[in-house]
Amino acid sequence: MKIKIEHLTKRFGNFTAVDDFSTTFEDGELIALLGPSGCGKSTMLNMLSGILPVTEGKIYFDDDDVTDVSPDKRGVGLVFQNYALYPHMTVLQNICFPLEIQKMPKEERIAKAKEMAKLVHVDEFLDRKPGQLSGGQQQRVAIARALVKKPRLLLLDEPLSNLDARLRLEMREEIRRIQQETGITTVFVTHDQEEAMSISDHIVLMKLGVKQQYAEPQELYNDPANNFVADFLGNPPINKIFGVAKGGNFELEDGSASFPFELCSKVAEGTKVTLGIRAESAYPVATAEEAAFVGEVSSTYAMGKEELGYIKIGNQEFRAYIASELGYKKGDAINVGFKDRGVFLFVTETGERVR
Amino acid sequence: METNEKVSLLTRIKRNVTLGKVLTYVFLAIGALVMVWPFYWMISSAFKTQLEIVSFPPAFVPNSWAYLENFKIAFVKAPFAKYFFNSIVVTIACVACTTFTTILASFAFSRLNFKGRDLIFSLLLSFMMVPFEMVAMTNTTTITQFGLNNSLLGLIVPFTTSIYYTFILRNFFVSIPDSLYYSARIDGASNWQYLWKIMVPIAKPSLFTIILLNALTCWNSFFWPRIIITSAENRTLPFGLYAFMSEGGTEYGPYMAAATIVVVPMIALFLVARKYIVNGVARGGLKG
Ligand SMILES: Nc1ncnc2c1ncn2[C@@H]1O[C@H](COP(=O)(O)OP(=O)(O)OP(=O)(O)O)[C@@H](O)[C@H]1O
Ligand SMILES: [Mg+2]
Repeated sequence: MKIKIEHLTKRFGNFTAVDDFSTTFEDGELIALLGPSGCGKSTMLNMLSGILPVTEGKIYFDDDDVTDVSPDKRGVGLVFQNYALYPHMTVLQNICFPLEIQKMPKEERIAKAKEMAKLVHVDEFLDRKPGQLSGGQQQRVAIARALVKKPRLLLLDEPLSNLDARLRLEMREEIRRIQQETGITTVFVTHDQEEAMSISDHIVLMKLGVKQQYAEPQELYNDPANNFVADFLGNPPINKIFGVAKGGNFELEDGSASFPFELCSKVAEGTKVTLGIRAESAYPVATAEEAAFVGEVSSTYAMGKEELGYIKIGNQEFRAYIASELGYKKGDAINVGFKDRGVFLFVTETGERVR
Repeated sequence: METNEKVSLLTRIKRNVTLGKVLTYVFLAIGALVMVWPFYWMISSAFKTQLEIVSFPPAFVPNSWAYLENFKIAFVKAPFAKYFFNSIVVTIACVACTTFTTILASFAFSRLNFKGRDLIFSLLLSFMMVPFEMVAMTNTTTITQFGLNNSLLGLIVPFTTSIYYTFILRNFFVSIPDSLYYSARIDGASNWQYLWKIMVPIAKPSLFTIILLNALTCWNSFFWPRIIITSAENRTLPFGLYAFMSEGGTEYGPYMAAATIVVVPMIALFLVARKYIVNGVARGGLKG
């Protein structure tokens, strides 16, 4: 099912948790809702499920306006961060519950529940109570319960945050597998960029209730809409050098260095700008002619074949990968070239990308 | 090796058995004896002949536990079977109604959002301060106006709700995580279905406690029946027992037999239900 969100806004009193949010989620995709804590991800999800009434805006499931439809009528499945399994029911009863409410005959619903339990690999635990399951098992039961009634939309609120690192990786793949096997449009909340990058078809990045960018994971990384997006994605984090645009040159804030940078001519003279450089996008070149600028190696750390080095320009530093066989040492002058990808210019004040 | 272990076990026991602990157990034992003794004396006397009862030194154990003469006398002299039946009817009706209204009210006060909810709730709580003797006066007027004087219904109607139990159950309901409610709603359940399929089963231990306390209160109720009931056939057991003692003869045995009839059902109920309460509390904890 396709989900269209139009100018969605949620206010708690004076506080705006989600601000004028518009986007479309395509049918059958796995979409990650990504952003730092408190940016309104859960609020978004709860509005999609119908738990929270919206302040303004519309939500469409395919062509139906569901903005004012109550949660029991929306046909969505939701997995809470704490799984919210019914503690007095067995695993089987938990998974059966949505079907029981639909008054499906007992044998049929047990058959369906068992089938679903098999899909998420909890069919060994059908007679246990939730309290007797591990976190990962509980989560899979919660997913089975959400899926068993064949929802049109599956919502997952930080489903992996309670798990240890290994299980988290495992369950990540599991969610991807289940989603692809069922083909149900899925929105899943996370504040872990790596998690979002690794399994989703599209990512929505949010900040303070405002949508920053909606794109495929690689596009988000390669072509960030603004400073915040570039900052949020990538490990090690993107390098930032602060300066001023002066006559088509990028000049460091304190004037300690300056070099030609084409995009600097696209902003007004004297605008404060930030140069964002991914660590893998700056590399040593042979001659000063090919180089974007000449810096100085300030330190290096061996990391196998490659070395992670700190390069100084003026009195600011940034990280770059330097092939170890080049043999740069601390204090050497280094000609630094930029790759086409992974070097961005932002207006410092607004964070807006200069293109 | 073996002896070594024994020695260490012994010293461990010695170390653990401090004077404080000994005193604690002695006091607990005395306390238990003081509590249980009157009950034992009552029940055992019910099986004694008049001679045994007045004999000195007193007999601690009746000659024969099969001596049922006292019960026969009690049943002949007063309609204890009828009293018993009345008590059962009134208790079951009161407990059933109170439990039902308590569940609904607790749900409303914990889950539904309506204007003035918390104000109404605190107002209700403040009514708990009003002593029953005061309410009894107005209740008498009301019941008389309803024409329910001297009827079992008159014993039931004023006791179909309870602020106190609502308070207890509401507090338990409040502790059930919101996410369970939202989960159930998304699973398609209505408020009504959520209440009966999720909340009530989770609250079973609390409900058991409430039902038990309530049953005990209803069964032992004396003050109110004395005001409302005027004819013998509508008496409940405690009132019937009281009447029996003031109307009956001088023999001690039948009194004790009658008192045993009043008390034993509740003791039995407690012995049976105690297991469920303990089990329920142990299992009912909410995880995650
Ligand atoms: N019921 C509420 N009343 C007032 N403010 C709220 C309420 N619910 C959420 N907020 C606020 O809205 C903002 C967004 O909350 P939300 O729970 O959506 O964040 P989130 O992105 O899910 O964060 P996290 O990653 O920590 O779960 C937060 O600043 C929060 O304090
Ligand atoms: Mg959240």
